[in-house]
Amino acid sequence: MQLGFLVDLHLCMGCKGCEIACKVENEVPLSTWRLRVKYVDVGTFPETKRTFTPLRCNHCENAPCERICPVSALHYLDNGIVNIDKERCIGCAGCVMACPYGAIYIDPQTQTADKCTYCAHRIASSMMPACVVACPVQANIFGDLDDATSNISKYIQTNQGNIQVRKPEKGTNPHHYYVGGGNVSLNPLASFRPEGHDLFGKITAKMPVGGH
Amino acid sequence: MAAHEILAATNAVVTLDVGLPGTVWPWLVTVNMWAKSIGTGVIFMLFLLLRMHPESGNKLRLQTSIVAFIFINIFLLFTLADLHQPFRFWHILVHPSFSSAIAWGTFMASAFLGLLTLLVLVAWRARTKEECNVNYDKILLWTTILAIPVTLYTAALMSQCTARELWQMPAESAQMILAALLAGSSAMILLGGSKLSYEAKKTLGVVLGLSALMSFIIYMSEYIFGPGKAEEIAFTLEYIKGDGPYTVMFWLGQWITYLLPMLLVVLSRNSKSESILKLASILALVGLFLVKHVWLNIPQLLPMS
Repeated sequence: MQLGFLVDLHLCMGCKGCEIACKVENEVPLSTWRLRVKYVDVGTFPETKRTFTPLRCNHCENAPCERICPVSALHYLDNGIVNIDKERCIGCAGCVMACPYGAIYIDPQTQTADKCTYCAHRIASSMMPACVVACPVQANIFGDLDDATSNISKYIQTNQGNIQVRKPEKGTNPHHYYVGGGNVSLNPLASFRPEGHDLFGKITAKMPVGGH
Repeated sequence: MAAHEILAATNAVVTLDVGLPGTVWPWLVTVNMWAKSIGTGVIFMLFLLLRMHPESGNKLRLQTSIVAFIFINIFLLFTLADLHQPFRFWHILVHPSFSSAIAWGTFMASAFLGLLTLLVLVAWRARTKEECNVNYDKILLWTTILAIPVTLYTAALMSQCTARELWQMPAESAQMILAALLAGSSAMILLGGSKLSYEAKKTLGVVLGLSALMSFIIYMSEYIFGPGKAEEIAFTLEYIKGDGPYTVMFWLGQWITYLLPMLLVVLSRNSKSESILKLASILALVGLFLVKHVWLNIPQLLPMS
């Protein structure tokens, strides 16, 4: 079994329901995020367009965070999820530095690394991740990539040629896919980030470092 | 492509996102690298002196061992202080993951500290029993060999940080070794004082000058040609170009650590002035902290998602 995620960016409308569901389900502390939706505006008025991109851990096949962790706190589950054992983590932040997607943060309450686990605890109880359940337009598609009859496998087959992953050049082989993504939505360096235009920018500036 | 050209081409603006995380590896890690450079560097230099200028090296066994011992302890202390869960450090010993440079570094640095402790004890004993120096030199050989991977492991760790392209191998490993040679020769010039012969000081001055020159060349190569290698490097170097937040610190570091010491080493050779050589050493040691701090910080400022 190899669990994976796919987000159809044509469907996502940036409601941030997935963000909230994730926060509630996993009790993610203030100032930190396991999943968030980034808004990027493209073009010049009146020819403008807004893109919405949910960002979470990519559960890479060749995960740099798993490799750099000195105590195997980050480890693979049999279903392919890159899980984290917070009791074992020593808080060296090596994984925060190693992740090319900025998906790992230091939990200000436990002072250990944390990230999206595809809701591994819910999967163990045969439930879908909280963000999948919350999405009103079914833009989040989750399932077994090894099973050709799963929704995610069918989606990938149907949209062949229009499937993207973030930073494929890093060789991490993410198990998190996008449909309808582009340079602007998937490349963090392709967009200008004016100071003061970040949501919660002023609040997080005073929070413990490590949030993403 | 330059960073501003990429942004102009997309004409895209992030309008809603969370704040960037800031610096995750702070100045504590800079102290870690700086202290380690001195701790391993003086061992390299003692090994060199004992072979090239034994009359000077013979007088510095105990002092060098103590200095290395102190700075490696500072390095380990700051490594520990940087952990968010320092009391769980022992987890590395019982649950090591050998794919991690951090785990390798922990074991190697611990063994290195063990050897340094032994060196201090043997050198102390050699004050009254001179034949102990033979044992000292045997232990020093293994300590010097181990000092190489201890110096390099931080470069390996940084290269495991995928997407922090400025920290990639092999440039980082070269920089780490050169930093150890620079710091080691500088510390030894200051430590040796009158115990060093003029010839020994000249040798240390050459090591200091050449390691400064090599380091400077590598930094400038990254600065000039780096942006052509990867988009991440182009964006990272923006922080030390123009009115970037680290521009002043970067150039201050380059002048204090490399350019001025190089000039002063040449000047000291011409004028045979030991004071000028000592000034070059002090500048190099102070500046190394700035250089390391800038290079540690700027890749962390890059948005990753």
